[in-house]
Parts: sequence; structure tokens; C-alpha cells
Amino acid sequence: MPIDSAAVTANPGQGRPSVTALMVYLLLAGLLMLLDQRGQFIPRFRAFAEGLVTPVYRVAEAPVEAVRGIRRYGRSWDSLVAQTREQREQLMAQSGQMQRLAALEEENRRLRALLDATAGRDIEFRFAELVQVSLDPYSHQVLIDRGVDDGVFEGQAVIDGQGVMGQVEGVTGGQSRVRLISDPDHALPVQILRTGQRTVAMGTGDVGRLSLPNLPEQSDVREGDVLVTSGLGERFPAGFPVAEVSRVVRDTGEAFMDVDARPLAALDRGREVLLVMSVPAPPDVRDMPATEIPDEALADAVDEAGTGNDASSGDATAAEAAEGPVLDDPAAEPAESSEQPADPPNDVAPVEGGETP
Amino acid sequence: MTRTQDHPAVLAAALGVAILLTLLPLPGWLEPLRPYWVALVLIYWSMEVPDPVKLGTAFLIGLLLDLLTASLMGLHAFSLVVLVYLARRFRARMRFFPPWQQAMAVLALLVNDRIILLWAITLLGEPMPTWRYWLAPLVGMALWPWVFLALDHARLARRQLDRR
Repeated sequence: MPIDSAAVTANPGQGRPSVTALMVYLLLAGLLMLLDQRGQFIPRFRAFAEGLVTPVYRVAEAPVEAVRGIRRYGRSWDSLVAQTREQREQLMAQSGQMQRLAALEEENRRLRALLDATAGRDIEFRFAELVQVSLDPYSHQVLIDRGVDDGVFEGQAVIDGQGVMGQVEGVTGGQSRVRLISDPDHALPVQILRTGQRTVAMGTGDVGRLSLPNLPEQSDVREGDVLVTSGLGERFPAGFPVAEVSRVVRDTGEAFMDVDARPLAALDRGREVLLVMSVPAPPDVRDMPATEIPDEALADAVDEAGTGNDASSGDATAAEAAEGPVLDDPAAEPAESSEQPADPPNDVAPVEGGETP
Repeated sequence: MTRTQDHPAVLAAALGVAILLTLLPLPGWLEPLRPYWVALVLIYWSMEVPDPVKLGTAFLIGLLLDLLTASLMGLHAFSLVVLVYLARRFRARMRFFPPWQQAMAVLALLVNDRIILLWAITLLGEPMPTWRYWLAPLVGMALWPWVFLALDHARLARRQLDRR
């Protein structure tokens, strides 16, 4: 290539760009970044502009969908049969568990009614799939294929089969952007399932790690403890599994423990998610002052538990069945079977509430 | 001077392909190897084309990329403006480098870009990336000759279309 070709020497467009222009653009970009992280304006602009670029995602997703279609077509008969069997077994196992859960739920509802607690409303879910495009790995966001048209709203909780994934941040017509719980700016109110202690799980930027920075030194927490949503903050319904405590470091010099947890949801490799359509008020029995629990109700509850045990213990089933009326008369019970936990109401109340009427 | 003018449609098409390649989902282990496609196209367009890409254009392309990849608004804009500035600043020299030296220059540009991104990552409070973070510029360098040839070819084809 000749050095003095017209293309190189004679075109005005090839002059060096001015340093002033560079500085102006860099300042502008820096300002945008600052505004995006701190302010409200850029997120709003983003929400508006996202609607315009949605078609790009559709195009970008097309080759992936095509490959998946071909693969689906080419799947062998044997693998399909094997898969169906596997899924049927899984379904059987799960419906067995569901039956147990149904009984528990029924019992829970009865107890709640007795305690005058707020009834946990039914939670509806909607299925959504991740849009198969790759976003900036440092953005901690995913796109899902449901939007305003499907009733998705900002702040909505998103879970997958194993646990909480994140919350909806931007919604357009047919797509939404979900911020994952691994984002360093994300804080999720959680509760340690074993002890009921409340704390906050913060994202760390690592999809395999959340951190619990607010646990005091003397807290009871162990590796393997499961964290569930506490329902505070009113974004996430209470009781969804979030993470499992993976590391506990106690340093006696510090006021707080150094605790890490591993998210249960497949944050970086999931494909299907569930949108939580309604958020019930946080139902939390632990918080209810025990003095407000009517003694009568408590006694009844214990009674029911007692009869439940009764029926399952094989030795005296026939005898107990014959004495049906015993249920209505708590005082008669201790005489009949001394191993039952059912006690007269006046003995129960002080233990539970620490205060007698 | 019509001979030296390149149709903007070629740049638009090249950028379109680069953006689609950026959004293409990859399996996890391949993800850190994804080259900065848009940067490769813009380096070419700053170096080889008589009417190189302007800083303002680079800025707008960066904003579009920020929007599409849901990254911090202005991050890609910042990185692409720096990249295009440097590529144009050393344009005269890079054009006449032998190919291997040109590839090294591209590597230097891409590594510089990674350093800028690293700075942004630490500001965001993200953990330090692993060594895999530095693989993407190497992949970009390896792909550079092919991108170069493909874009040369595309420009030539477009010019012949215009002449007909």
C-alpha cells in the first residue's frame, strides 16, 4: 500500500481528535455513571428506553432458540422415555410430600384461626422464562419474558424452584429486568429458620455468596442454617428459602460476626422462574405477644396436638377411640394417659407466656 | 473523492453483528473469553477507514451498549470513547505496522480498556475479578486478523455495489 495514497493523506476526517472533545465526553460519561448509581433520573430514562430496544433482544435470542429447537427435534426416543419416567417418579415423590403439606397447612390454618392471627393469604405464582441473552456480568440482572401485559410490576419478587432470585426492577410491555440478590447494592431481610433470628442478607457481587454483616457476636448461627425471607420490607412474602449459611467466623474482637451464605436459587444458570403475584402481610406468630393468646385457645390447640399423637401411637388406639368424649373434657385426659402432653389450661399458660391471667 | 467514502450502512451492519455477538449467551466457562466485539469493530473503523468514527459516535454506541447489556449507564460509553481516541491518535503508526505488531497494538488497547473497567468495578464494590478476566483481550487479539479481513471484505463489496 503506497504511503501517500489519497485515502491516507488527503482526507480531513483522519485528523487527530482533540483532547478537549475527549475530556468533554469522558466527563459526560462519568457524570452519567454517577447519576445512574445514585440518582433516580437515569433509571427512569432507562425504563423508557428499554421499550425501544426490546426488539434487539428478540433478534439476539433467535439463534439460541433455533439451536434449541433443532436439539429438541433431534432428541432420541430412549432419552425421552427415560426423562418421562424420571419426571413421573419425581412427581410421585413430590405429590406425596404435598399431601403431608396439605395436612400441615390445614393444621396451621386451624391454629392461626385459634390464635386470631392474620391468615396467610394464598400466594399466586406465574411462570416466566429467562430471555436468553447475555447481559453485563457485573450488572447482576437477568431479563424475563413477562412484562406489564402479564401483570408484572416493579418490585415484584422473583423466585425459582429452589429459592429467591431477586426482584423486578424495570418493566416493559413484554419483558422485565430482574435484579438478582447477588448485587452488591441489594439487601434482603431474612430470618434464620432454626432460631427465628432476623437479619439482612447483602449481595456481594459473587453469585455464590451472600453476606450477613449484622449478626451480633453472640448470635446462634451455624453452618448449614437455612435463611428464609422474613417478609419485612414487604417486597418478598415471608418464608421463602433464600440461602444456606456456608461460613461462620467468630472474632471475639468484633461486635459482629463474619457470616457468609450460599444462595439456594440458581442465580447464574437458571432458566425458568416464578413471579410472585401477590404479597401477603408478613405472618409471624413468633412476634405475637404471648399474653394476648387466649388461654382457652391455647389449651384447645394443645389438646388437638395431643389427640394427634394419640391416634398415631398403636398401643391404645382402640381404647382411645372408644372414649371419644375425652376430647371435650381436658381435665379427664391426664388420668387416662399420663404420657400425653395435654395439660389443663392453667398449667400451660405460665410456661408459654410467663404470665397468668 | 467518492472512492474513499465508505457507506455508513457497512459500519451499522458490522456494529449490529458485533452487538448480537455480545448478547449471545455462552456456557459459563466460555463467558470470560467473550471478546469485546464492538471495540474490535470500532478499532478497525478508527484505523483503516478514511473517514474514521467520531468520538461522539463512539459515545452514542457506548450508551446503546450500556442500555442493551444493562450495565452502568456511561460505562461502555466511557470505554469506547477512550478506545477510539487512542486508536485515532496512533492511527498513522498502527496502519503501517506489520500484522503481528498491529495485533499487539490491539491487545494493548483492549488491556487498557480492561484496566478502565477494573477501576469501575472496584468503584461499584464488586469483588476483584479472577485471572480469567484478562483472557478476553487475548481472545480479541487472536480474532483481530479475522475481523480485519471480514470488514475489509465487507467494505470492498459495498464499494463495488456502489460503482455498479
